[in-house]
Amino acid sequence: MKKLQKVITLVLAFVLVFALVACAGTTTETPVAESPEVEVEETEEADAPEEVATGETTELTLWHIQTHELRAAVIEDAVNRFMEANPQYTVEIVPIQNDVYKETITIAMAANALPDVFVSWSGGPMIEYINAGHLYDMTDFVAASDLPDRLLEAGMAQGTYNGSVYGIPGESVAISAVFYNREIFDDLGLSVPTTVGEMEDVAETLIENDIIPFALANGPRWTGSMYFMNLATRYAGLSPFQNAVSGTGSFEDGSFVFAGERIADWVERDFFAPGFNGADEDTGQSRQLLYADQAAMHIIGNWFISQVLSENPDFHEKLGVFSFPAYENSDANSDIVIGTVGDNFYHIASTSVSPQGSFELITFITDETAMAGRIDAGAIPPIQGVTVEDPILQAVLSIIEEASEVQLWYDQYLPPEVAQAHLNTLQEIFGLTMTPQEANAEVQAAMESYRDR
Amino acid sequence: MGALASKRRRSVNIAAVVFLAPAIFFLGTFIIYPIINSFQLSFHDWNGITAHRDFIGIRNWLELFSDRVFWFAFRNNLIVVFFSLLFQVPFALALATFLDAGGKKFTIFKIVWFLPLLMSTVAVGFLFRFGLDANFGIVTFFSRLFGGGAVDLLGDQSRVLLTVIGVICWRFIPFYMILYLAGYSNLPEETYEAAIIDGATRSQYFWRVALPLLWPTIRNGAVLSIVGSLSFFDLIFVMTGGGPGIASELMATYMYRNAFQIMRVGYGATVASAMFILITIIALIVFRLLNRKEKP
Repeated sequence: MKKLQKVITLVLAFVLVFALVACAGTTTETPVAESPEVEVEETEEADAPEEVATGETTELTLWHIQTHELRAAVIEDAVNRFMEANPQYTVEIVPIQNDVYKETITIAMAANALPDVFVSWSGGPMIEYINAGHLYDMTDFVAASDLPDRLLEAGMAQGTYNGSVYGIPGESVAISAVFYNREIFDDLGLSVPTTVGEMEDVAETLIENDIIPFALANGPRWTGSMYFMNLATRYAGLSPFQNAVSGTGSFEDGSFVFAGERIADWVERDFFAPGFNGADEDTGQSRQLLYADQAAMHIIGNWFISQVLSENPDFHEKLGVFSFPAYENSDANSDIVIGTVGDNFYHIASTSVSPQGSFELITFITDETAMAGRIDAGAIPPIQGVTVEDPILQAVLSIIEEASEVQLWYDQYLPPEVAQAHLNTLQEIFGLTMTPQEANAEVQAAMESYRDR
Repeated sequence: MGALASKRRRSVNIAAVVFLAPAIFFLGTFIIYPIINSFQLSFHDWNGITAHRDFIGIRNWLELFSDRVFWFAFRNNLIVVFFSLLFQVPFALALATFLDAGGKKFTIFKIVWFLPLLMSTVAVGFLFRFGLDANFGIVTFFSRLFGGGAVDLLGDQSRVLLTVIGVICWRFIPFYMILYLAGYSNLPEETYEAAIIDGATRSQYFWRVALPLLWPTIRNGAVLSIVGSLSFFDLIFVMTGGGPGIASELMATYMYRNAFQIMRVGYGATVASAMFILITIIALIVFRLLNRKEKP
């Protein structure tokens, strides 16, 4: 009896250990074994005549990350219209939550189980996907379509790599800006700050009135990066970042030290809510503070407007927006915006059962009806000559129109391991457990080790 | 006679092979092969999505030995082990003793206390993330009720690990409770009667008779708790993702971060293999120690 018990415990114990290790092992092996097949399939697909209506339907799978009601409905409607026009296809739509999405894609690639159509944020990760041969080159399809005439050139450029089109900008132009509660500002007689110093004064006044200045939820880490990117850019423009990436400069540059120090200073002055460094953005722990009138400002992308319209339409009435203010001791161009032209980008997997059908699907997702739907849902679709009625959206649009340059989010632009180093060390700066100097040195080391490889 | 015996032995052997084959097949496919593969992968540099992977010898292992974060995560794992043993074993034993003494009329407690284990881990993680929210959570609510301020449990580097350990205990105490309850039901009724007839009090019975008899079960529970804590992943991943910074990073979350977020699958496999080695060594040592105590 005792012996048996011992054996059972040992077996259970080992299963616990192995289950986890097994997890890592199984997902990693597959592509090596199967990738030659992929290439075969791909060439077959290119030569094979496109499936004509033979009564059989081809099933396409679509992954996207629009989990908010209004924006998800736009895609659903486009897909239904696509299926009506092309009865030979059926489409399975899979919405996935933002913060787990990037890993989901990596795992799907490793397991060779990519959906036919899926989205990414372009930038560094997209280049990795292309180099690994997972994205379908849709240059020819695009050339034969009206997409280049309708979509923003800058957006198309962001989905193009080495002269070939791999991604179609489909959702929204997304930039970071300071959203604020106008009612609170009016009550306290505050005006929109035009310099970082003025913004700090606004924050101090808010604190005196028991209101949290910034509704930051830094659990997912990229949210805090919005503060860092804007501060660094206002300090010395875009060249420090570009030089740090290319190797002629460094992440230990003065502008990054400035951004880190300013953030640490703001943390010490209680500009953020209690527990902000572990709070979650996706599930709305930041927006809760705004909706409850406990916080006044939120530095985030303009998808925030869509979220407000879905979650709390009344709050939309109180919403105001301004561009991240200039830094008073710098002559850096203060109309540079941080963001992306066309977030997200629609890709076709190189393993797609029907690239032709997939591309057709993408044209429906990015057609005029869908884009009009996105405007109603609070987005700024990446189309030429866009006009919006909503005043907040209009305000964001004019910030974009006045922008001299657009810098893609650091964490999307950088190679994944450098991006993670940036996000992790920044969270430590916010937690006051690392000095900006230490953090920047670590990011620089990650960049150098990436470049050496 | 001899022919009959050998025939019998052959049929026994065939039966053994037939019965063992499925188990061996699944163990081989899902446990042994992946472990070997993980070790193999740990000698490569691979981003997880290309067909090609570079053989780089022991470079990953050298990096691991001097990796501050990995050893910090290992230290965090040991802290989880320590507090899990400290809280889970006595609490679960107390609950089981209570239920055993109460018999049928305490069935309602049995059901209620078992509930945490029935909920999905991810749901528990989300539940506590909202419950422990520093502005709207229940802890802050009570703190404010009594005149205190906001209580930050998940965003504060110095508290986050202990907070998560609390949630882990909440979730897993019911498991050990059931384990010990099963242990109690295995104790023969006669020993209890004999002890009472001999004039033992209820507490003497517990310390002198029941506890020693339950020792094998307690020991098994402890080993399960140690191994489970060393390879712990899901609840931490959902609640903190290893953060803020690396404050609640465990070996398993660090492995995940490397393999799937940073896209260094080779290094992730190195971390997984190191975990395997460390956990196996610790489990063997614990087994040895606990068995030695039992013999005299």
